[in-house]
Amino acid sequence: MYIVIVGAGRLGLVLAKQLQGEKHQVCLIDKNEGLCNKLARESKGILIIFGDATYPEVLKEAKIEKADVCVAATSQDEDNIIVCNLAKELFEVRRTVARVNDPKHLQLYKYMQVDNPVDSTSIIAQVVEEEASFKDVMSLLSIKKGRLSIVRIDIPEGSPVVNKTLKEIKLPANSVLVSILRGPDIIVPSGATKIYPNDEIIAATLIDVKNDLIKTLIGKI
Amino acid sequence: MRYIIIVGCGKTGRSLALELSKTENVVVLDRSIKAMDVLGDDFNGKKIWGDGLDLSVLEEAGLSDADALYLLTNNDNLNLVIGKVAKRKYGTRNVILQVNDIVKKRIFQEEGLTIVNRNYLIVEVLRKCIG
Repeated sequence: MYIVIVGAGRLGLVLAKQLQGEKHQVCLIDKNEGLCNKLARESKGILIIFGDATYPEVLKEAKIEKADVCVAATSQDEDNIIVCNLAKELFEVRRTVARVNDPKHLQLYKYMQVDNPVDSTSIIAQVVEEEASFKDVMSLLSIKKGRLSIVRIDIPEGSPVVNKTLKEIKLPANSVLVSILRGPDIIVPSGATKIYPNDEIIAATLIDVKNDLIKTLIGKI
Repeated sequence: MRYIIIVGCGKTGRSLALELSKTENVVVLDRSIKAMDVLGDDFNGKKIWGDGLDLSVLEEAGLSDADALYLLTNNDNLNLVIGKVAKRKYGTRNVILQVNDIVKKRIFQEEGLTIVNRNYLIVEVLRKCIG
Protein backbone atom coordinates (compact mmCIF):
# COMPACT_ATOMS: atom_id res chain seq x y z
CA MET A 1 0.00 0.00 0.00
CA TYR A 2 1.00 3.61 -0.48
CA ILE A 3 0.35 5.69 2.61
CA VAL A 4 0.73 9.45 2.99
CA ILE A 5 1.22 10.69 6.54
CA VAL A 6 0.90 14.39 7.34
CA GLY A 7 2.75 15.59 10.43
CA ALA A 8 6.12 14.17 11.43
CA GLY A 9 5.67 14.53 15.15
CA ARG A 10 6.04 11.60 17.51
CA LEU A 11 2.95 9.82 16.20
CA GLY A 12 3.61 10.46 12.51
CA LEU A 13 7.19 9.30 12.75
CA VAL A 14 6.53 6.13 14.73
CA LEU A 15 3.70 5.26 12.38
CA ALA A 16 5.83 5.88 9.29
CA LYS A 17 8.58 3.59 10.55
CA GLN A 18 6.13 0.91 11.58
CA LEU A 19 4.42 0.94 8.19
CA GLN A 20 7.74 0.97 6.39
CA GLY A 21 8.73 -2.10 8.42
CA GLU A 22 5.59 -3.79 7.14
CA LYS A 23 6.82 -3.12 3.58
CA HIS A 24 4.39 -0.34 2.79
CA GLN A 25 5.43 2.66 0.76
CA VAL A 26 5.35 5.69 3.00
CA CYS A 27 5.46 9.43 2.39
CA LEU A 28 5.78 11.83 5.31
CA ILE A 29 4.89 15.53 4.99
CA ASP A 30 5.78 18.20 7.55
CA LYS A 31 5.95 21.99 7.56
CA ASN A 32 9.08 22.19 9.67
CA GLU A 33 11.98 22.51 7.22
CA GLY A 34 14.75 21.67 9.69
CA LEU A 35 12.95 18.54 10.80
CA CYS A 36 12.39 17.47 7.19
CA ASN A 37 16.08 17.88 6.36
CA LYS A 38 17.04 15.82 9.37
CA LEU A 39 14.52 13.11 8.54
CA ALA A 40 15.59 13.03 4.89
CA ARG A 41 19.13 12.26 6.05
CA GLU A 42 18.14 9.70 8.66
CA SER A 43 15.11 7.89 7.31
CA LYS A 44 16.04 5.76 4.36
CA GLY A 45 13.18 4.53 2.25
CA ILE A 46 10.62 7.05 3.49
CA LEU A 47 9.78 9.88 1.11
CA ILE A 48 10.02 13.15 3.05
CA ILE A 49 8.26 16.26 1.77
CA PHE A 50 8.59 19.71 3.28
CA GLY A 51 5.45 21.81 3.08
CA ASP A 52 2.07 22.75 4.50
CA ALA A 53 -0.20 19.88 3.52
CA THR A 54 -3.32 22.03 3.83
CA TYR A 55 -2.26 23.38 0.41
CA PRO A 56 -3.22 21.10 -2.48
CA GLU A 57 0.07 21.56 -4.34
CA VAL A 58 1.94 19.99 -1.42
CA LEU A 59 -0.36 16.99 -1.43
CA LYS A 60 0.10 16.77 -5.17
CA GLU A 61 3.86 16.66 -4.73
CA ALA A 62 3.33 13.68 -2.45
CA LYS A 63 1.35 12.00 -5.27
CA ILE A 64 -1.53 11.64 -2.89
CA GLU A 65 -3.87 10.66 -5.72
CA LYS A 66 -2.04 7.32 -5.72
CA ALA A 67 -2.37 6.85 -1.97
CA ASP A 68 -4.55 4.11 -0.52
CA VAL A 69 -4.73 5.91 2.80
CA CYS A 70 -4.08 9.45 3.99
CA VAL A 71 -3.26 9.85 7.67
CA ALA A 72 -3.47 13.35 9.16
CA ALA A 73 -1.41 13.34 12.35
CA THR A 74 -0.61 16.99 13.04
CA SER A 75 -1.26 18.60 16.41
CA GLN A 76 -3.83 21.00 14.92
CA ASP A 77 -7.32 19.57 14.52
CA GLU A 78 -8.39 22.17 11.95
CA ASP A 79 -5.38 21.28 9.79
CA ASN A 80 -6.09 17.55 10.07
CA ILE A 81 -9.67 18.07 8.95
CA ILE A 82 -8.68 20.26 5.99
CA VAL A 83 -6.02 17.72 4.91
CA CYS A 84 -8.55 14.88 5.00
CA ASN A 85 -11.13 16.96 3.12
CA LEU A 86 -8.65 17.85 0.39
CA ALA A 87 -7.43 14.27 0.10
CA LYS A 88 -10.95 12.99 -0.25
CA GLU A 89 -12.62 15.66 -2.37
CA LEU A 90 -9.79 16.80 -4.60
CA PHE A 91 -7.67 13.67 -4.92
CA GLU A 92 -10.25 10.95 -4.30
CA VAL A 93 -8.24 9.13 -1.66
CA ARG A 94 -10.40 6.25 -0.51
CA ARG A 95 -9.64 6.27 3.18
CA THR A 96 -8.75 9.10 5.52
CA VAL A 97 -7.58 8.61 9.08
CA ALA A 98 -6.90 11.44 11.51
CA ARG A 99 -5.55 11.95 14.96
CA VAL A 100 -8.02 13.84 17.14
CA ASN A 101 -5.98 16.07 19.44
CA ASP A 102 -8.76 17.46 21.61
CA PRO A 103 -11.64 15.04 22.33
CA LYS A 104 -13.96 18.06 22.27
CA HIS A 105 -13.27 18.36 18.55
CA LEU A 106 -14.32 14.77 17.74
CA GLN A 107 -17.80 15.86 16.68
CA LEU A 108 -16.29 18.21 14.16
CA TYR A 109 -14.31 15.40 12.51
CA LYS A 110 -17.52 13.45 12.13
CA TYR A 111 -19.42 16.31 10.51
CA MET A 112 -16.50 16.97 8.20
CA GLN A 113 -16.59 13.37 7.00
CA VAL A 114 -13.20 12.15 8.11
CA ASP A 115 -13.46 8.36 7.71
CA ASN A 116 -11.58 7.32 10.83
CA PRO A 117 -11.01 9.93 13.51
CA VAL A 118 -8.85 8.37 16.22
CA ASP A 119 -9.39 9.99 19.57
CA SER A 120 -6.10 8.99 21.18
CA THR A 121 -6.71 10.93 24.39
CA SER A 122 -9.92 9.07 25.17
CA ILE A 123 -8.38 5.73 24.24
CA ILE A 124 -5.41 6.31 26.54
CA ALA A 125 -7.68 7.60 29.32
CA GLN A 126 -9.67 4.39 29.09
CA VAL A 127 -6.56 2.24 29.28
CA VAL A 128 -5.19 4.22 32.22
CA GLU A 129 -8.50 4.00 34.02
CA GLU A 130 -8.53 0.24 33.61
CA GLU A 131 -4.97 -0.11 34.84
CA ALA A 132 -5.77 2.02 37.83
CA SER A 133 -9.09 0.59 38.90
CA PHE A 134 -8.80 -3.18 38.56
CA LYS A 135 -6.10 -5.18 40.21
CA ASP A 136 -7.29 -8.57 39.07
CA VAL A 137 -8.16 -7.54 35.54
CA MET A 138 -5.89 -6.18 32.88
CA SER A 139 -6.79 -5.19 29.37
CA LEU A 140 -4.17 -6.60 27.02
CA LEU A 141 -5.45 -5.56 23.65
CA SER A 142 -8.29 -3.55 22.15
CA ILE A 143 -9.57 -4.27 18.69
CA LYS A 144 -12.02 -2.27 16.58
CA LYS A 145 -11.67 0.89 18.65
CA GLY A 146 -12.10 -1.02 21.88
CA ARG A 147 -15.23 -2.94 20.97
CA LEU A 148 -13.42 -6.26 21.27
CA SER A 149 -11.12 -6.62 24.22
CA ILE A 150 -8.54 -9.26 25.13
CA VAL A 151 -8.20 -9.30 28.91
CA ARG A 152 -6.22 -11.07 31.59
CA ILE A 153 -8.18 -11.97 34.69
CA ASP A 154 -6.50 -13.34 37.85
CA ILE A 155 -8.65 -15.83 39.71
CA PRO A 156 -8.75 -15.06 43.45
CA GLU A 157 -9.19 -17.69 46.19
CA GLY A 158 -12.83 -16.85 46.78
CA SER A 159 -13.91 -16.79 43.15
CA PRO A 160 -17.22 -18.54 42.39
CA VAL A 161 -15.61 -20.50 39.56
CA VAL A 162 -12.82 -22.10 41.59
CA ASN A 163 -12.74 -25.91 41.25
CA LYS A 164 -15.36 -25.84 38.54
CA THR A 165 -14.90 -27.16 35.03
CA LEU A 166 -15.52 -24.83 32.13
CA LYS A 167 -18.59 -26.86 31.23
CA GLU A 168 -20.11 -25.94 34.58
CA ILE A 169 -19.44 -22.23 34.19
CA LYS A 170 -21.98 -20.14 32.33
CA LEU A 171 -20.07 -17.37 30.56
CA PRO A 172 -21.90 -14.37 29.16
CA ALA A 173 -22.62 -14.56 25.43
CA ASN A 174 -19.96 -12.94 23.23
CA SER A 175 -17.10 -13.86 25.51
CA VAL A 176 -14.72 -16.77 25.36
CA LEU A 177 -11.81 -18.08 27.45
CA VAL A 178 -8.74 -18.33 25.26
CA SER A 179 -6.21 -19.84 27.61
CA ILE A 180 -5.25 -20.39 31.22
CA LEU A 181 -1.81 -19.53 32.55
CA ARG A 182 -1.00 -21.71 35.54
CA GLY A 183 2.51 -21.27 36.88
CA PRO A 184 4.80 -22.16 33.98
CA ASP A 185 2.05 -23.93 32.02
CA ILE A 186 -0.10 -22.52 29.27
CA ILE A 187 -3.34 -24.43 28.99
CA VAL A 188 -5.70 -24.20 26.04
CA PRO A 189 -8.90 -25.08 27.85
CA SER A 190 -11.59 -27.58 26.94
CA GLY A 191 -14.93 -28.19 28.65
CA ALA A 192 -13.29 -30.53 31.15
CA THR A 193 -10.59 -28.05 32.22
CA LYS A 194 -10.89 -27.04 35.87
CA ILE A 195 -10.14 -23.58 37.18
CA TYR A 196 -7.95 -23.16 40.27
CA PRO A 197 -7.11 -20.16 42.46
CA ASN A 198 -4.29 -17.99 41.08
CA ASP A 199 -4.96 -19.10 37.51
CA GLU A 200 -4.50 -16.29 35.06
CA ILE A 201 -7.18 -16.42 32.45
CA ILE A 202 -6.86 -14.86 29.03
CA ALA A 203 -10.28 -14.10 27.59
CA ALA A 204 -11.69 -12.35 24.55
CA THR A 205 -14.86 -10.37 25.12
CA LEU A 206 -17.05 -7.77 23.51
CA ILE A 207 -16.85 -4.58 25.51
CA ASP A 208 -20.53 -4.53 26.53
CA VAL A 209 -20.26 -7.89 28.31
CA LYS A 210 -16.80 -7.37 29.76
CA ASN A 211 -18.09 -6.49 33.20
CA ASP A 212 -20.43 -9.51 33.18
CA LEU A 213 -17.46 -11.72 32.35
CA ILE A 214 -15.41 -10.25 35.21
CA LYS A 215 -18.31 -10.73 37.58
CA THR A 216 -18.72 -14.35 36.52
CA LEU A 217 -15.05 -15.14 37.00
CA ILE A 218 -14.15 -13.23 40.15
CA GLY A 219 -17.54 -12.62 41.71
CA LYS A 220 -17.31 -8.81 41.79
CA ILE A 221 -16.34 -5.91 39.62
CA MET B 1 -32.29 43.23 15.93
CA ARG B 2 -30.41 40.43 14.26
CA TYR B 3 -28.36 37.92 16.21
CA ILE B 4 -24.73 37.89 15.09
CA ILE B 5 -21.76 35.79 16.19
CA ILE B 6 -18.20 36.90 15.51
CA VAL B 7 -15.39 34.36 16.01
CA GLY B 8 -11.93 35.91 16.32
CA CYS B 9 -11.38 39.24 17.99
CA GLY B 10 -8.39 40.58 16.10
CA LYS B 11 -8.34 43.98 14.43
CA THR B 12 -11.07 43.13 11.94
CA GLY B 13 -13.22 41.24 14.41
CA ARG B 14 -12.98 44.03 16.94
CA SER B 15 -13.89 46.81 14.50
CA LEU B 16 -16.79 44.82 13.11
CA ALA B 17 -18.07 43.94 16.59
CA LEU B 18 -18.01 47.58 17.72
CA GLU B 19 -19.75 48.71 14.56
CA LEU B 20 -22.46 46.04 14.48
CA SER B 21 -23.19 46.17 18.19
CA LYS B 22 -24.64 49.66 17.73
CA THR B 23 -27.61 48.21 15.92
CA GLU B 24 -27.52 44.42 16.30
CA ASN B 25 -27.30 41.77 18.96
CA VAL B 26 -23.62 40.72 18.89
CA VAL B 27 -21.68 37.88 20.52
CA VAL B 28 -17.89 37.79 20.21
CA LEU B 29 -15.98 34.55 20.74
CA ASP B 30 -12.22 34.23 21.13
CA ARG B 31 -9.67 31.82 22.60
CA SER B 32 -8.00 34.71 24.37
CA ILE B 33 -9.65 36.84 27.05
CA LYS B 34 -7.09 39.55 26.44
CA ALA B 35 -8.04 39.84 22.79
CA MET B 36 -11.58 40.64 23.87
CA ASP B 37 -10.48 43.22 26.44
CA VAL B 38 -9.64 45.58 23.59
CA LEU B 39 -13.35 45.84 22.83
CA GLY B 40 -13.48 48.29 25.72
CA ASP B 41 -16.49 49.71 27.51
CA ASP B 42 -18.22 50.93 24.38
CA PHE B 43 -18.95 47.39 23.27
CA ASN B 44 -22.60 46.68 23.75
CA GLY B 45 -22.65 42.90 23.37
CA LYS B 46 -21.69 39.58 24.87
CA LYS B 47 -18.20 38.09 25.08
CA ILE B 48 -17.53 34.37 25.21
CA TRP B 49 -14.12 33.01 26.03
CA GLY B 50 -13.70 29.64 24.37
CA ASP B 51 -12.62 27.37 21.59
CA GLY B 52 -14.61 27.79 18.38
CA LEU B 53 -13.76 24.26 17.27
CA ASP B 54 -15.72 22.93 20.22
CA LEU B 55 -19.30 22.61 19.03
CA SER B 56 -20.68 22.92 22.55
CA VAL B 57 -19.05 26.36 22.79
CA LEU B 58 -20.62 27.42 19.50
CA GLU B 59 -23.97 26.17 20.73
CA GLU B 60 -23.55 28.10 23.95
CA ALA B 61 -22.90 31.16 21.80
CA GLY B 62 -26.31 30.52 20.24
CA LEU B 63 -25.30 29.31 16.80
CA SER B 64 -28.66 27.60 16.25
CA ASP B 65 -30.42 30.97 16.50
CA ALA B 66 -27.82 33.12 14.76
CA ASP B 67 -28.73 35.18 11.70
CA ALA B 68 -25.08 35.51 10.77
CA LEU B 69 -21.75 33.97 11.68
CA TYR B 70 -18.53 35.84 10.94
CA LEU B 71 -15.29 33.82 11.08
CA LEU B 72 -12.43 36.27 11.34
CA THR B 73 -9.55 34.45 13.04
CA ASN B 74 -6.19 34.63 11.30
CA ASN B 75 -6.28 30.86 10.83
CA ASP B 76 -7.73 30.01 7.40
CA ASN B 77 -8.20 26.34 8.18
CA LEU B 78 -10.06 27.05 11.39
CA ASN B 79 -12.37 29.55 9.67
CA LEU B 80 -13.10 27.05 6.90
CA VAL B 81 -13.81 24.12 9.21
CA ILE B 82 -16.16 26.08 11.48
CA GLY B 83 -17.84 27.72 8.48
CA LYS B 84 -18.61 24.42 6.81
CA VAL B 85 -19.94 22.82 9.96
CA ALA B 86 -22.13 25.84 10.71
CA LYS B 87 -23.64 25.56 7.25
CA ARG B 88 -24.01 21.78 7.24
CA LYS B 89 -25.09 21.07 10.77
CA TYR B 90 -26.78 24.25 11.93
CA GLY B 91 -27.94 25.62 8.59
CA THR B 92 -26.78 29.11 9.59
CA ARG B 93 -28.18 31.49 7.00
CA ASN B 94 -25.22 33.83 6.55
CA VAL B 95 -21.74 32.45 7.03
CA ILE B 96 -19.00 34.92 6.21
CA LEU B 97 -15.40 33.90 6.55
CA GLN B 98 -12.05 35.45 6.04
CA VAL B 99 -9.63 33.28 4.07
CA ASN B 100 -6.23 34.75 3.34
CA ASP B 101 -5.13 32.20 0.82
CA ILE B 102 -6.65 32.57 -2.63
CA VAL B 103 -6.20 28.87 -3.52
CA LYS B 104 -8.19 27.79 -0.49
CA LYS B 105 -10.81 30.41 -1.22
CA ARG B 106 -11.34 28.80 -4.63
CA ILE B 107 -11.37 25.19 -3.42
CA PHE B 108 -13.64 25.58 -0.46
CA GLN B 109 -16.10 27.96 -2.02
CA GLU B 110 -19.51 26.40 -1.73
CA GLU B 111 -23.08 27.46 -1.78
CA GLY B 112 -24.04 29.63 1.15
CA LEU B 113 -20.51 30.47 2.27
CA THR B 114 -19.28 33.99 1.65
CA ILE B 115 -15.51 33.82 1.52
CA VAL B 116 -13.71 37.14 1.81
CA ASN B 117 -10.09 37.55 0.79
CA ARG B 118 -8.45 40.65 2.15
CA ASN B 119 -5.75 40.91 -0.47
CA TYR B 120 -8.22 40.53 -3.32
CA LEU B 121 -10.36 43.34 -1.88
CA ILE B 122 -7.44 45.71 -1.49
CA VAL B 123 -6.24 45.04 -5.01
CA GLU B 124 -9.73 45.76 -6.31
CA VAL B 125 -9.83 49.07 -4.46
CA LEU B 126 -6.35 50.04 -5.56
CA ARG B 127 -7.15 49.23 -9.15
CA LYS B 128 -10.23 51.45 -9.05
CA CYS B 129 -8.16 54.34 -7.70
CA ILE B 130 -6.88 55.10 -11.18
CA GLY B 131 -10.33 54.85 -12.65
